[in-house]
Amino acid sequence: MLTITSLSKRHANAVQAVFSGLSFSVQAGEVVALVGESGVGKSTLLNCIAGLEPADEGSILVGRQAQDIVRLGEAARAALRASSIGFVFQAFHVLPTLSVAQNIAVPLLLAGVAAGEHAARIEALLARVGLAGFGPRWPASLSGGELQRVAIARALVHRPALILADEPTGNLDPRTADEILALLLERVREQHAAALIVTHSQHVAQCCDRVLTLTPEGLQ
Amino acid sequence: MIRLAWWLVRAQFTTRRMATALSMLAIALGVALGYAIHLINAAALADFSQAMKSVQGEPDAVIAPRDSAGQVPLALINEIARDADVAIIAPVIETRVRIDNATMAVKLIGLDVFSAAAVTPKLLPRQSDRVAGGSVFEDGVYASPTLLARFKLAPGDAVTLVRGDTHWRTRIAGDLPAARPDDLLLVADIAWVQARFGPAGGVSEGRVRLASGVRVGNWLGAWAGRLPAGLALRAAEDDSARVSNVSRAYRVNLNVLALVALLTGAFLVFATQLTAVAQRSTQFALLGVLGLSPRLRLWQVLLEGLAIGVPGAGLGLVLGYVMSLAFTQVIGGDLGGGYFSGSAPAILPRPAPALGFFALGCAASLTGALYPAWLNRIQPLAQALKTGFAQSPPSGGAAPRRRRWLKGAAMALVALAAIGLTRLPALFDLPLAGYAAIALVLVLGIGAAPPVTQIVFGALARLRLPAPLRIAVQNIVQAPLMAQVAASGLIVSFALTVSMVTMVSSFRTAVDQWLDVVLPAPMYVRSKGVPLPRELLGALAQPAAPFEKVERSAAVSLSLDPQRPAVALLVRELDRAEAAARLPFTGAVLAAPADRLVVWISEPMQQLYRLAPGQSLRLPLLGREVEAFIGGTWRDYARQFGAVVIGAADYVALGGRFEPTDLALWPRPGEEAAARTWLAKFTADYGLEMAESGEIRKLSLSIFDKSFAVTYALEAAAMLIGLFGLAVTLAAGVWLRARELATLSALGFDRAMLTRAVMFEGAMIAGIGLVIGLACGVAVGAILTHVVNPQAFHWRMKLEIPWLQVLPGAALSLLAGIFASRFAARQATRLPVAQVLANAQ
Repeated sequence: MLTITSLSKRHANAVQAVFSGLSFSVQAGEVVALVGESGVGKSTLLNCIAGLEPADEGSILVGRQAQDIVRLGEAARAALRASSIGFVFQAFHVLPTLSVAQNIAVPLLLAGVAAGEHAARIEALLARVGLAGFGPRWPASLSGGELQRVAIARALVHRPALILADEPTGNLDPRTADEILALLLERVREQHAAALIVTHSQHVAQCCDRVLTLTPEGLQ
Repeated sequence: MIRLAWWLVRAQFTTRRMATALSMLAIALGVALGYAIHLINAAALADFSQAMKSVQGEPDAVIAPRDSAGQVPLALINEIARDADVAIIAPVIETRVRIDNATMAVKLIGLDVFSAAAVTPKLLPRQSDRVAGGSVFEDGVYASPTLLARFKLAPGDAVTLVRGDTHWRTRIAGDLPAARPDDLLLVADIAWVQARFGPAGGVSEGRVRLASGVRVGNWLGAWAGRLPAGLALRAAEDDSARVSNVSRAYRVNLNVLALVALLTGAFLVFATQLTAVAQRSTQFALLGVLGLSPRLRLWQVLLEGLAIGVPGAGLGLVLGYVMSLAFTQVIGGDLGGGYFSGSAPAILPRPAPALGFFALGCAASLTGALYPAWLNRIQPLAQALKTGFAQSPPSGGAAPRRRRWLKGAAMALVALAAIGLTRLPALFDLPLAGYAAIALVLVLGIGAAPPVTQIVFGALARLRLPAPLRIAVQNIVQAPLMAQVAASGLIVSFALTVSMVTMVSSFRTAVDQWLDVVLPAPMYVRSKGVPLPRELLGALAQPAAPFEKVERSAAVSLSLDPQRPAVALLVRELDRAEAAARLPFTGAVLAAPADRLVVWISEPMQQLYRLAPGQSLRLPLLGREVEAFIGGTWRDYARQFGAVVIGAADYVALGGRFEPTDLALWPRPGEEAAARTWLAKFTADYGLEMAESGEIRKLSLSIFDKSFAVTYALEAAAMLIGLFGLAVTLAAGVWLRARELATLSALGFDRAMLTRAVMFEGAMIAGIGLVIGLACGVAVGAILTHVVNPQAFHWRMKLEIPWLQVLPGAALSLLAGIFASRFAARQATRLPVAQVLANAQ
């Protein structure tokens, strides 16, 4: 679902590369943790995988069709994200002006899923993340844990091949963080997706199938 | 995807109600003004054209003397009637008479009832049952229903028609059932009119209906060479063109002003959409990350612009219709321009222009959304998701230093182009290059905002400043986009307001000074187009008359170009040697060779017919072409389509009849009251108008102010929109910095300090906008005064900047800016600090 080969990235005007020659892959149904010190380039790597920042060299094959996101144009990268990638962020990023159901419907609309399927899929997922009946509610009325559950439902609703999560429990208390992590892993495996989770938490990393450590020298 | 777009539009409208409503209102105002002006102009032109057709009928061609004092010989009418290509020719005599002793003169038309039935059916009379008699026109005159109502007359009533000293007793024989509601007309048999009022052996004009299949152009060409010099044949279509040309420049000017209101509306949409994009940058970035393509992010903002434009333009059409109804009732169909009669024409909206103005409103709104949409398209997603709106998105191409040079060079080019455009002549009789120069000055002003902001605040940032001021200065230096947007809106609106005030003030001062010269006498008497009674003129010549000096004058009209309105020929008791002291000349007065006829042309005449002092001018006078020497050009703000002054003695020497219609009177010192009493008898007996120069001056200036009423309304609208834009942008700027303000608050700044910081910022932004706006306003005012006015209206004047209006206006705008920023600051600092900081996590 994700295959990275000889990936290099250097910021504009920087002397040193952020990373170079990175190669790894994540299989369907596999959850991989990406750890490393602050500033080592974990978020940059995640941005490159999502096509939000350009890589200088190498390839990133994403999804069931294994499209190389490095070689795609801007619009095609957006289309690939819409169809094949789900995102979970530390800061939740739930749209405050849309209801919970509308927030979850956004990836379905962007992926072009038939409108008739939306309600059933959203209701089913809300139930699976423990938010049954929350569809008409507004984000402002939800707690942090509930918002992250909405974000997980949004990341999974269009059945993407790859989930990218950036510190998904970073803003939550330990008990809620445990619940959210368990939910995320369970749903990812249930959908047989691949997941790459950037984290500083040893506990989160231990819960994953595999741990990759990014250092200035490369992946370990 | 449409569903998502709709959700986002709806969310935008519900979360930013005030800014969205103001943007809609601004667009509505621009559309409303433009549409109202269009509706009123169209209605007034149609009304005037119909009035002309009602009186003139619908002939194919008209033969008339080029000099209003002239006539068409009956022999020529008979010759044309014999032409096989002519179906019918209707001879007409038109003159003006008073009914009994009324002050108002009305038109008396003499018709041949048989030919009139074919050419001017709307003037056909209907004999009243109450009037005994044989055939129509056997005796008496026929009156339009409006005239009957105005003078409280009825068929059968006896009336006295007065022209000069001539009195004719007759009766109202019936009415004119097809006359229009505005027509004040009398119709009588042509022979009856000719016998009493002249002209002997001729008629005022002949209206020709050609035989079927004959082309008007060919027929006119065939006859052109056979006419005597003082006559002109014109296609009746030319009359419609002439009617339209009368007010064309005024209409275009008003439409340009309405477009300006629309432009400021577009600016408000720009400010609203830019702040909307800035405020929602994280949301748009999230949508981008989730897969919303850059193109769709651009379209989303454009769609939101359109969602403001569509209801705004729709509301504008409704408002425009209502305004057109109100304007026609209050200031008449000519919008105070004084071109048509003060009637209130019927407003008839038609689909095509309504659609056009609707599209214009939508286009303005879309234009305003264009740059914000582009900014939204190029926002770096990862960065925007993390830190919010990027004011200076990454741009490729030249290095910053080179870009600055390129921008400087581009601005210099724009300035040169603007100067170049002011030197170009009018195109199609319109100051199009002048309008383009104004647009470039505004572009220059907006373009100057970023460098001026950076230079001024860059320098201020290096000084030791109190904390609130330092925060304000630092914020503008570091995040200039919002400041520049707010300043730009104010630059445009203040520049337009200053320019209008400057132009109107320059014009008013010039008219005021001009009135001093053209109203030298303390008293004036006029008879509104009919000759003054000989009894009065004779009495004035007696030693007993309480006047030390009397100057008589008359006016006739000359047609120099069938497409243009007639030129006034002013016959004045003026010696060629003293002309320099009696007319407000704009330049040197040339001495004419002793054997040549000399005339003095007005400034509009000089420009319209491209004449100059010292040249020869051929005038169609008294049935022939008369060559005259142009002795000089004089200032005339009264007759936009040109005037020529000729000495009464010269006019009489040419064979003209000097029948004075106007008197300038200088009472003997100390006998002013006696002079008024002495005149009162004549004014009462003959329905004359008497006025003192002070009254005429007051009336003239009040007409002037009325004619600029629409301009004042547009100025106020532009300024309000500019201030709304400033308020919206400042509020959004402060909202974007809520986290920063909360952090400062957590660090120990109290609410008062933060509010002061934001107020300083608002004051500085408004100050920059007002200073640049003032500079642009003076430049635009100079273009309006020195380029647009002379080219559109043929009036020249000196530039007068009314500092006593401009500076208080600037101070008020500055206060409004500070007040808007205070409001914004209070809204932002009212939020709980902990909540703002928690949300920033």
